[in-house]
Amino acid sequence: MSDAYATTDRLVSADSNSYDRGLDTAIALSVVGFTLGLITLVNLVPPGASGSALTTALGTLLAVVVGAVGITGLASYTNVVPVTSQRVRGIGLGLVVSTLALTALAAVLPVTMATLLGTVLLAEALAITAAGVSSRLELVDTEPNMSAGLLSGGALGAVGLAMGAAIGGALTSAGSLLWLIGAVVAGVGLFLLAILPREDLGSTLPTAIVVGALGLTIVTGTIGVGWQWNPQTLSGGFTGGAVIPVFLLVGTLLSAWSAAKCRAGFGARGREYGAFLVINLNAFLMVAVMATIVVFVTVKGVGYAFHGLSVGALTALVLLTPALLAAVQFARTPAGTNDWNSGARQLFRVLPLAAVGALAATVASVLVTGSPLRYSYAYTVQVNRQGQALDTAFAVTPDTTIGTLLLIAPALLLAVTFFRSFGSLRKVGTQSERAGSIRQAVPTAVLALVVLTGFFLVFGPAPFGLPLGSTLGFAAVVAGSVAAGGLAVYPLVGVLTSDGPTLADSAQSEAPLFTLGVFGGLGLLLAALLLQPVAGINPLVGPVNLVPAIALGAAVASLALATLTTVAKRSSEETITRRLLTEETRLGLVGTAGFTALVGLHVAVTGTSFNVLGVSIANEGSLSWPMVMQAYIPLGAEPGGIMPAIIGTVWLVIGATLFAVPLGVGAAVFLTEYAEQGRFTALVEIATNALWSTPSIVFGLFGAAFLIPRLGGDESLLAGMLVLGFMLLPLVLITSRESIKAVPDEYRDASAALGVTQWETIKSVVLPAAMPGVITGVILGVGRIAGETAPLILVLGSTLNATAAVDVIGGFRFVSGPPFIANDALLTASASLPTQVWAVIAAGVSGSPQMGWATAFILLMVVLTFYAVGITARTYFRRKLNYE
Amino acid sequence: MTEDIPTTEGEAVSSGDRVDGSTLAVVTIATTLVATILVFLFRPALALPMLLAFVFVTAVGWVTYQAEVARLLTLVATVLTVLTVAFITFFLFASALPAFLERGLGLLLIPEQGGNARWFFWLESVLPSDSTYWNPLSGAYSLIPMIWATVVVTIIAGAVAGPLGLFGALFIAEVASDRLRELIKPGVEILAGIPSIVYGFIGFQVLNGFIQTNFLDDGASFLIAGIVVGVMALPTVVSVGEDALSSVPQSMGDGSVAMGATEWQTMKSISIPAAFSGISAAVILGLGRAIGETMAVAAIMASGTQFADPLFDIFDANATLTSLIATQYGSASESTVDVLFVAGVMLFVIVAGMSIVSQYIERRMQRKLKGQQ
Repeated sequence: MSDAYATTDRLVSADSNSYDRGLDTAIALSVVGFTLGLITLVNLVPPGASGSALTTALGTLLAVVVGAVGITGLASYTNVVPVTSQRVRGIGLGLVVSTLALTALAAVLPVTMATLLGTVLLAEALAITAAGVSSRLELVDTEPNMSAGLLSGGALGAVGLAMGAAIGGALTSAGSLLWLIGAVVAGVGLFLLAILPREDLGSTLPTAIVVGALGLTIVTGTIGVGWQWNPQTLSGGFTGGAVIPVFLLVGTLLSAWSAAKCRAGFGARGREYGAFLVINLNAFLMVAVMATIVVFVTVKGVGYAFHGLSVGALTALVLLTPALLAAVQFARTPAGTNDWNSGARQLFRVLPLAAVGALAATVASVLVTGSPLRYSYAYTVQVNRQGQALDTAFAVTPDTTIGTLLLIAPALLLAVTFFRSFGSLRKVGTQSERAGSIRQAVPTAVLALVVLTGFFLVFGPAPFGLPLGSTLGFAAVVAGSVAAGGLAVYPLVGVLTSDGPTLADSAQSEAPLFTLGVFGGLGLLLAALLLQPVAGINPLVGPVNLVPAIALGAAVASLALATLTTVAKRSSEETITRRLLTEETRLGLVGTAGFTALVGLHVAVTGTSFNVLGVSIANEGSLSWPMVMQAYIPLGAEPGGIMPAIIGTVWLVIGATLFAVPLGVGAAVFLTEYAEQGRFTALVEIATNALWSTPSIVFGLFGAAFLIPRLGGDESLLAGMLVLGFMLLPLVLITSRESIKAVPDEYRDASAALGVTQWETIKSVVLPAAMPGVITGVILGVGRIAGETAPLILVLGSTLNATAAVDVIGGFRFVSGPPFIANDALLTASASLPTQVWAVIAAGVSGSPQMGWATAFILLMVVLTFYAVGITARTYFRRKLNYE
Repeated sequence: MTEDIPTTEGEAVSSGDRVDGSTLAVVTIATTLVATILVFLFRPALALPMLLAFVFVTAVGWVTYQAEVARLLTLVATVLTVLTVAFITFFLFASALPAFLERGLGLLLIPEQGGNARWFFWLESVLPSDSTYWNPLSGAYSLIPMIWATVVVTIIAGAVAGPLGLFGALFIAEVASDRLRELIKPGVEILAGIPSIVYGFIGFQVLNGFIQTNFLDDGASFLIAGIVVGVMALPTVVSVGEDALSSVPQSMGDGSVAMGATEWQTMKSISIPAAFSGISAAVILGLGRAIGETMAVAAIMASGTQFADPLFDIFDANATLTSLIATQYGSASESTVDVLFVAGVMLFVIVAGMSIVSQYIERRMQRKLKGQQ
């Protein structure tokens, strides 16, 4: 509606465009009404609410709307996020106005929610009628077509048909066919009213009639809050509590559509605006449904899932280190680009770093003050079918014990990360003779230790009655670990005693010592460490455990190296020297993380804890998460957890992946690279697609009837793995084929032109290029089967309250007869996350719903993590491919 | 014969004749594998040693003739995959055959009410009828109630997933900006990833109570099961439909826009008609998902085997084909298991058929759009 066409005798002019603003408000009112309808439908606010309950609810909504619109308006005003569209501005303003009006109405008049909702519909009907009539009277400048079109007519006719049937059915007695007449009359009437007049009337009047009728029914109380209709022919019925919100949803959707058409001036543009509004609302609804499901399960399950979670402060700090590294990396990334200049972006880059830092400081304060950090809350458990509230807390305790796994995993992760960023120090610095001979001796020493380990592994620590383990083994461990300690300190000594003019120069010239010290030391110490358990020894020097003490010393020495090179780097000007020193710093950090991991590994393999400076490293750490780390405790005061189910799911996923991935990827390679593309490949493709969409329960049926009798005759973990593998197979095949097909033929041609054989081409060109796609497909597929339930309840059974987890690794044993290797754990039933949820459902009233919610929450998190990782990986690889 | 394989292998390598050696390696590996499969089928106890023999022979072959062995292994993977598919199909049909032969049309008994067969789309005049239609003790097994329950749930699910899915696909393919699309597409995928048992648990714990208060029902109902299954089938419809809409060549839409048409007119008159077969394939595939859905349905509706009365009572509830298998298998007698296999075969045939039809439609559309027809 251009201002140029506006004249003074029209409602719309350059100064006053009340037509536009009014319709924007009408659209906004529809949106508010739709939201209120949803809120009433899920009974957040009952339709009978009135007085303070109603004003509170509307006040909350008002606060939300004012906040959202306000912050957007502010951003638009300050030009940070410019909103230029008049329609968006109008709707934003309309949202505030209509919510304000509704709140005021509820506060002033003694109305119920239902009446208010009816009023909304009536107001909508009036607004639409006014818009249509003013357009027909040419008061405003619109471009209507001759007719609203068959599509709109059909839609309105269908609505009329339904309404006519309902009204007819309500007015006439049961059994008579009068409702049919009512339906036909209303349907045909609305259809004709829609298509016969000019579009501005045709697309407003019928809508207004429908919306107005719905509104009147509610306002007059024909269908009120207490209304019920229980037809004889149905086993259920309808209540006002369900019907009124549904009326609202239908009515507001119709009126929003119609008002949008009016707002854009009818015609092609009007229809487009109307259609887009509906499409956008639908998309919003889909996202809302998804978010609701996830949030709902989280809210229901999170309290129980995290009951009694407590973690030692030092453990928390160790776990924070990788996060800290990631945050630093994130903050560093854009350095040097123009983006860095933008203040807001810089802030967002640094924000994670600051957050991790603040968190770490909070946790560290627990260590310093010694008083734990507690967040207390209550959750409910089911005791004798009665809900019982239990107080619990999420706590960070000043415990300084660190579990080995929680030490090794982050340390190893850091070591690998630093090693990946480390380039090379080859041919840097001066090669001294002594270092050269040591460099040659180290592999020999490692080999000797490994041979010794093998020897003890085969013959035991005391072969042929000779106490070789405690003598020879002891000497070897001591010698090896002391030598490793010496190696780790060697570069430090070398740099400090070097006669270079500056620290930077000496660090550069002694570069060969760095690789020797870090890698040699790590290798030697690892070999010595692994010798200990097989030789049955654990050398002590006084009260101190030798190997971990040396590992710790080496870690400190490596850290000193990293610090030294960093200091040297600051004083150096030359670019090449600075680069080399950075490499050396990274190497020092590899050493620090690696040696720290060895400390943990020592405790893990020998089983004796290691204490230093009040810090204890032990196999039993200070992380306690009962839900995940405990099994069900019968008759316990604390409810225990679902560890057996988690372990079961982990093994199921591992087994299924081991079965499906080699087969699927192999078949994909053959079908794409070797086989001739024709009937056969097309047939296999159709068959795999059909298998992919086959109902999962059918796989379960197959597994129960075919696999179980052949695998010991009882429900078993192995059968579950195989059945899930059958389900995973088609997905792996399909995605692998797609990603292998997506590798450009140029790659293959270029490789063939170099004279490379077909297999070598596949191995070194096609597969690496296709690998990201394959891995993504596998991750997404695994996410899908991890939540699969139907086949598992047939082949794995469903156990409520499992008290023991399957021990697959410990279950292997050798037997004399065929099949020589047996694993009873694989042939017994196990709990798993999805079947655990099913067990809660199947147990009916005796199942604990809280436990079910918590299990469902953990299952959802596991599956969503797989999906999130898979989707992120795919986006990452796709971007990388496009930018290359 | 497995014992002497390693030695023949060694001799072949030492003779130095690559072509003969590779043939021999391939032949021995293939033989061992076939033997392993046969042993697994007929003497499962000996399968593991045979498998180890196969692994050993393959490892030796991998070191000496990598290219040939790799090719063979990929072929083996293909054959095994095809065999798995074929074997599952064969086994299902073979297991269902006894019940089918024994009972024939008795599996489709129309329930009687007051001495007369209930109206069931005029089929009651063709099919047999009885007043006991599900009673394992007396051997009466009629799948008609479950088939009907599946149909009702699928219709409701289709009514939810069809229109919403079409609008969603339109939004992602045509309306959304690039940035929004990158957010919403993964969102839809994640929606597909929510395990069905979680939907089932929500339905069991929350929605059934909602139905009780708002629709005066005893809880379990086709309505809720259908809506939940519809939401579950929605992502399939959206993503396949979106693929179909995106595969309409850009030039077709551009031509329309160049003529002065609005985007909605272009969508309505160009994109949707061009992609119509693809969209219908999406809906078919979504309905296939809905038919095969088990856990949500089993959790929401009880495992009753009564027949919906009246037919279109959406507040009634009974087991569908899938939930019948899931809930009855554990405690089933032998003859019941045979009947469950008939239900499984029905599901398999229907859903696989729908998948094949939708693939055919999609392929034809692709060909047409590429102008090869």
